[in-house]
Amino acid sequence: MTATQPDLGTWVGKGIDRVEGPHKVTGTAPYASDVTLPGMLHAVVVTSTIAAGSIVKIDSSALLTLPGVRAVFTHENFPRLNTPTQVLFGEAPVVPMQDARIAFHGQEVALVVADTPQEATEAARLLEITYAAEPPLLDPAGQRRETLPSSPDTSRGDTDAGWAAADVRVGATYRTPENTNNPLGLMGCVAVWDGDHLEIHDSTQGTIALRTILAGMFGVPESGVRVRVPYLGGGFGAGLNQWPYKILAAGAARELGVPVKLMLTRPQMFRLVGHRPNSEHQVRLGAARDGGLTMIEHRATSLSSMDFPAVGLLTSGTPHLYDCANVATVERTVRLNRRYPTSMRAPGEAEGNWAVETAMDELAHELGMDPLDLRLRNLATERDPATGKPWSSNAVIECCRVGAELFGWSRRDPRPASTREGDLLIGQGMAACGFFAYMPMSQARVTIYADGTAAVRSAATDIGTGTYTIITQVAADLLGLHPQQVDFQLGDSDMPASAHSGGSGLASSLSNAVIDAVSHLRGELLALAGPDSPLHGLAPDDVVCRDGALCRRDDPSAREPIADLLAGSGLVELAADGRLRPPEGAARDMVHAAAYGARFVEVAIDPMIGRLRVRRVVTVTDGGRILNKKLARSQILGATVGGIGQALFEDTLTDPGTGRVANGTFGDYLVAVNADVPDVEVAFVGEPDRYTPSGTKGIGEIGLVGVAAAIGNAVFHATGRRARDLPITVDQLMM
Amino acid sequence: MKTTRTTTRVPSAQDLYTVDVFTVVNGSPMQWRVDTRTTLLEALRDTAGLTGTKRGCDQGACGACTVHVDGKRVLSCLTLAAQADGRQVTTIEGLAGDDGPHPLQEAFLRHDAFQCGFCTPGQLMSAACLLREGRAGSDAAIREYMSGNLCRCGAYDNIVAAIRDVAKGAD
Repeated sequence: MTATQPDLGTWVGKGIDRVEGPHKVTGTAPYASDVTLPGMLHAVVVTSTIAAGSIVKIDSSALLTLPGVRAVFTHENFPRLNTPTQVLFGEAPVVPMQDARIAFHGQEVALVVADTPQEATEAARLLEITYAAEPPLLDPAGQRRETLPSSPDTSRGDTDAGWAAADVRVGATYRTPENTNNPLGLMGCVAVWDGDHLEIHDSTQGTIALRTILAGMFGVPESGVRVRVPYLGGGFGAGLNQWPYKILAAGAARELGVPVKLMLTRPQMFRLVGHRPNSEHQVRLGAARDGGLTMIEHRATSLSSMDFPAVGLLTSGTPHLYDCANVATVERTVRLNRRYPTSMRAPGEAEGNWAVETAMDELAHELGMDPLDLRLRNLATERDPATGKPWSSNAVIECCRVGAELFGWSRRDPRPASTREGDLLIGQGMAACGFFAYMPMSQARVTIYADGTAAVRSAATDIGTGTYTIITQVAADLLGLHPQQVDFQLGDSDMPASAHSGGSGLASSLSNAVIDAVSHLRGELLALAGPDSPLHGLAPDDVVCRDGALCRRDDPSAREPIADLLAGSGLVELAADGRLRPPEGAARDMVHAAAYGARFVEVAIDPMIGRLRVRRVVTVTDGGRILNKKLARSQILGATVGGIGQALFEDTLTDPGTGRVANGTFGDYLVAVNADVPDVEVAFVGEPDRYTPSGTKGIGEIGLVGVAAAIGNAVFHATGRRARDLPITVDQLMM
Repeated sequence: MKTTRTTTRVPSAQDLYTVDVFTVVNGSPMQWRVDTRTTLLEALRDTAGLTGTKRGCDQGACGACTVHVDGKRVLSCLTLAAQADGRQVTTIEGLAGDDGPHPLQEAFLRHDAFQCGFCTPGQLMSAACLLREGRAGSDAAIREYMSGNLCRCGAYDNIVAAIRDVAKGAD
């Protein structure tokens, strides 16, 4: 198997404070919105007010007489750009303003550039556009819809036979609404050209993907495009795609020959940077009297935009969580005149888990079985039931057991509507969950300096998860340094290429790249050791970095100060690159395991006014090796808040007649606020994952999965009323 | 002050569109000549270069732009720069004292009361007023009176813990 890296453990795991924290609590962390360049103009996007049809006329001449207005770009004068390059992650962007066609309400149709944001905003408001509107396709069940396959269909065994053989059967339809990522940081960018060189400060989660796409579209060398993202005001997936606004800013900056800043407004954040699309799930489960699952069938449908691919992933977890011989999943996406969808924290899993884990609760009720026992009876912990291969790690059973213990699940009266406190109905629910393993390529460069300090550089971004801190800890352990001696620089596409912060894949990918880089650095240092050195002839794995010296692993007294090694060769620094390596040995025959979890929730419902409060959450996660226990807890806490929002509040409404977002502001689109969140108890279980040397599994998203189902199942326990549509609102709770 | 707006001609007189604002920001006197439409948020960020105050919605709904005006918390995106005339403004850049960080800044670090950090200046400015207002006496009170500051990363539990820590220390 892949050898677990032995040098992690002095700083890795410790709950040190965020290394970039002082910048964030003093307001000195520079986000894209904070960038100002000399001579910079300000651009404002104008969006369509119809959902389908075409632009007949845009009269921009009047705008050009307004104070401060420098240019108005429309499909008639915006440069024609190359077809975008397909990148590893994130759908290729739709090239904006290339023709008169309108595919959704809120589409980018013009860009007004002025001296100040106020002048650009005012002029944008006054732009007159004449449209030829057509009836938009907005009904998912309509006749003219186009259907795409999304996640691949899966099938094992015989679900019809499993249904026939079942003693108890449940089947129902579950729905989730559109949710909008809404990172608090408004997205935007500043673009500036110097000849064929482009520099762009942006809010992307993936600097390299943006570099590749812009270079391709503008027909300039990739080496000349530099993307800078030292800080991100969140993203939750909204920064994964390289949205049209960046292309508009880069195009305007090139045409005008000056830096252009383009910031989106909050209403535009509901329209132009993606969302979690609506989904509908038909789930059927069959079980023997003892609770053993005889079949699972999960058919799901989601929505996308006319010119856009599917987000998918709704059924991605279903074939893998439970040990059942007969499983089928089918997933489709319907294209409509709607806004672009994208991944939103725990894409697909958050919705699919809602459906399947609610169905499991229904099955437990029909069986007369404790919902926890039904999970424990069926969870697949040794092998992936879809392939039969062993998991590289899987502690989902331990998640359930530890969570139940912390929560006091055994004291729960299983009968629905059995527990009251005064006028309040009290309910307790649980759900199990997983989040698919995903680990795209990352590279990193580690440099050691003669003064004993070190730098790590990678084009990664820290979306707020703690990348700055955990990679500093990993490098400190591998180099035998204090974290304060390690400077991790990121967010710059001129650094070694890195995966985006997305899919919970970066922590694992990048930590393994750093392990590889330090191994190479040890090799480079060994090459400096002359024939008289006690280290001469050793291999990189035979030595470790400790206290400023390179030492024999099995005999630390055999050592060479690194400063001496460098000086002996006339070097002031030495760098080595590393990258994520494929699994070795036994790990090759394992299935790269997901993060797992179990969620336990208590709700209190006032049936007179339909008020639901989440009173208690116990959330247990198997994230493999935890790199920083303080920041890991924060990831789970934050995702729990997201799950509460998904369960109770978040619902982006589209007007069925016009295709317009009906509630695209923070005043109208509700998210969980401080008072909506109870004290959350967070626990971690499990061992370092065997698939990679760092042994960590991403935990940025798993914490959200299962929260909605646990809340819904608690609502059933409190009231005897089953919620199958999210969000669970007052109208579903009035008695 | 006239606020005439024309959409058809270049203005003939600058004074139709600009206003002079005299204010004290973080203890420093400032004089701004700004477009009358300029909000306090824009003046702080674009004119004074104090970018620690953040724009999260521009509609008074998220709290990221919270600053103190004459010691009270206000949403600077809903306040015109002209309304700060003759007043004392404190932003995140002025929260720390001469002898080091504000206790809330240290507590936010210690409790990991932020993730992406974008809402953090607003959270801190609200929290500082909360302590002065005497509304940090219980977790429930902290949660209620901090609910005007959205944190999309979901650091609420840690924000409550950080404020509770400082409130207890201040007793």
